[in-house]
Amino acid sequence: MPKNASTEVTPDNSRTASRSRSVGFGVFALLVLLLVLAFVVSLSLGSVSIPLREVVRILTGEPALKESWGTIVLDFRLTKSITAVLVGGALSLAGLQMQTMFRNPLADPFILGINSGASLGVALVVLSIGTAGTAFLAGLGALGDLSLALAASVGAGLVLALILLVGQRVKNPTTLLIMGLMFGYATSALTSLLIYFSRPERIQAYTIWSYGSFSGVTWNQLKVMAPVILVGLGVAVFLTKSLNALLLGEDYARSMGLNVKHARFFILLSASLLAGTVTAFCGPIGFIGVAVPHVCRNLLHTSDHKVLIPAVVLVGAIAALAADALAQLPGSQYVLPINVVTSLFGAPFVMWVLIRQRRGGTSFTV
Amino acid sequence: MKKTIPILCVLLLLVVSACQAMPTGSPQPSATPASPSGTATAEANTQPPITIRYAKGFTLEYKGNYKILTVTQPWAGAEQALTYILVPRGSEPPANDGNATVIEVPVRSFVAMSTTYFPFLENIGKLDALVAVDDATYVYNPTVREKAASGEIAVVGGGMGGPSANIESLLELDPDVIMTSASGIPELDVYPKLEEVGLPVVINGDYLEQTPLGRAEWGIFIAAFFDLEQQASQQFDALVQRYEEVQALAAGVQERVTVFTNTDFQGTWYVPAGESYAAILLKDAGAEYLWEDQPGTGALPLSFETVFEKAKDADFWLNPGFAASLQDLLAMDARYAEFKAFQTGQVFNYNAKVTDTGGMDYFESGVANPDVILKDLIKIFYPELLPEHTLFYYQQLK
Repeated sequence: MPKNASTEVTPDNSRTASRSRSVGFGVFALLVLLLVLAFVVSLSLGSVSIPLREVVRILTGEPALKESWGTIVLDFRLTKSITAVLVGGALSLAGLQMQTMFRNPLADPFILGINSGASLGVALVVLSIGTAGTAFLAGLGALGDLSLALAASVGAGLVLALILLVGQRVKNPTTLLIMGLMFGYATSALTSLLIYFSRPERIQAYTIWSYGSFSGVTWNQLKVMAPVILVGLGVAVFLTKSLNALLLGEDYARSMGLNVKHARFFILLSASLLAGTVTAFCGPIGFIGVAVPHVCRNLLHTSDHKVLIPAVVLVGAIAALAADALAQLPGSQYVLPINVVTSLFGAPFVMWVLIRQRRGGTSFTV
Repeated sequence: MKKTIPILCVLLLLVVSACQAMPTGSPQPSATPASPSGTATAEANTQPPITIRYAKGFTLEYKGNYKILTVTQPWAGAEQALTYILVPRGSEPPANDGNATVIEVPVRSFVAMSTTYFPFLENIGKLDALVAVDDATYVYNPTVREKAASGEIAVVGGGMGGPSANIESLLELDPDVIMTSASGIPELDVYPKLEEVGLPVVINGDYLEQTPLGRAEWGIFIAAFFDLEQQASQQFDALVQRYEEVQALAAGVQERVTVFTNTDFQGTWYVPAGESYAAILLKDAGAEYLWEDQPGTGALPLSFETVFEKAKDADFWLNPGFAASLQDLLAMDARYAEFKAFQTGQVFNYNAKVTDTGGMDYFESGVANPDVILKDLIKIFYPELLPEHTLFYYQQLK
């Protein structure tokens, strides 16, 4: 992230929404530019080396020099890059919502056990193929390559329903947090049980899923994934004011006239839709959801969700594209798991951002 | 989740070590006391000596009235060999450095913690000696399944990746020998615990052999515990002859077909390296395996697009994961339809013989019958060479 982007903003003026919006314009222009750049880079990088000119030709609908290049760019790389943008944006936004709602800097999109539910669904499919369990899941095959995603969605959806139900009954957000953790433990235990009784090669398949990947998503799957994520994103935009109010605590928000119960329901719905959909199609992608909100808050020196929501979506998308480019190990024919890359390269970067921020004198606030 | 993390770590390690442990060929561990070729000399034995020709993981020697089996490679990257002294039942064990395990033979009861031992027991008529298995779910052998269902064969856990061993049941069974494979990580292997309680455990390294004949030669290792190694050796010689006959058939083909294997999973396509078991079978069947020049015995984690670029126009697609039909493949990833082999229906998988619960005969009796696997492959690639043969382990996906 370029330094000059953040030096324009000082902590003093960031609190007022009107100022931060005007200052943010330059930053946003830069972020959009970076996103476009990252998207192009991600399309032109891969194990098979295809010249950039050919990539552009293929994208504009002209026939490629080699027939297989057309398939690679359109069916492999374009889907992968679009997926990365959606995933990065969705997870970062969901992470931001959770961090604000629970006023907890460690909160991530999966803190309420959404991914454990999804994992259980996937474990049921992957670990039971070829066994008696298949009879129950055989019908899923008719859905084309959506079966794994559907199983994960069912799992995530069940946990989501439980969270929403509990969220309406529990007053204290901390209690909700602990309830979410408990859902996570319970579903993980079931997954562990399935793993315990499975064959090594199946466990390996499940393990690979748990490393996360953008490459497994096909056009067919994007047709389902993209609209759901856009709905989750739309809901989040409507929640901007509520999130800003919640920053100061639920009591304060209530005194400002916010229907906390109502707001909480929609925040949970939005975050769970975003995180659950991502996990369903790409596996549990870690790190981005917890790190990107911190990076944005620190670089932009603001806690205003009017600025943060678009910022985390953009930065998240850029981060996901960058991570994917690294995971493809350009020039080699191998690939690395996406979770390895995000954490390995992302963690030092976030540490650098935080240390740099401390030197500036402002301590971290959610 | 806590319990699964180490398991997952080990799986990762296994994959990594499989890729890296043996970069070219399999180096013989230095601690091999036997002659390098594993020649057995019959001193107090009137029988002809047995020469271990293909297996790199064990040697057999005769000394006086006892036999020494040395497992030179009990697990990938093992630094020390394991020694088993097989003494006639009731006789005094010879002096040894204390590191060797002494087992009285012939054994009367056998516990198998891998399904790959069944065909070898069956070949020497000793399947009756099987008293317990680690898990019956993935067994293919009908006799073993029936006996496990009726309780005649106990299910005791302890196999790789499965439930942990039921030590109490094993102590009660008091078997003459327990045979298992090992990963070399004591916390995850079953043998340290078994040794601790004094159970006679033997580590079998068959899965580390990279040649089909080397893997099949472990039948002699198992037979030695029943004093039936002569019979097993003769059976093995016949197998080698059958294998080489069909191999010679395929060696003469003028135009080799091109082949690729496995499937993508979430963007990673594991491709067997050129010196692996799968690659050697394909080579022996006269096919041009697209990654046959890749050194190593493990699997390479390639990206989908790399495999697509190289294999798009290949003639045959083999071993596509769990798929039992072309529809299954499409359900995994619609992009599979772009492969020529898919479009022409030349997709074959080794799951013709499977049980409802997931037992696969290819991984079980296939270990002892590589000649049948080879015949299947040649029938697939060059049907005119073996007009009489019908596919045994393989099926064409419809």
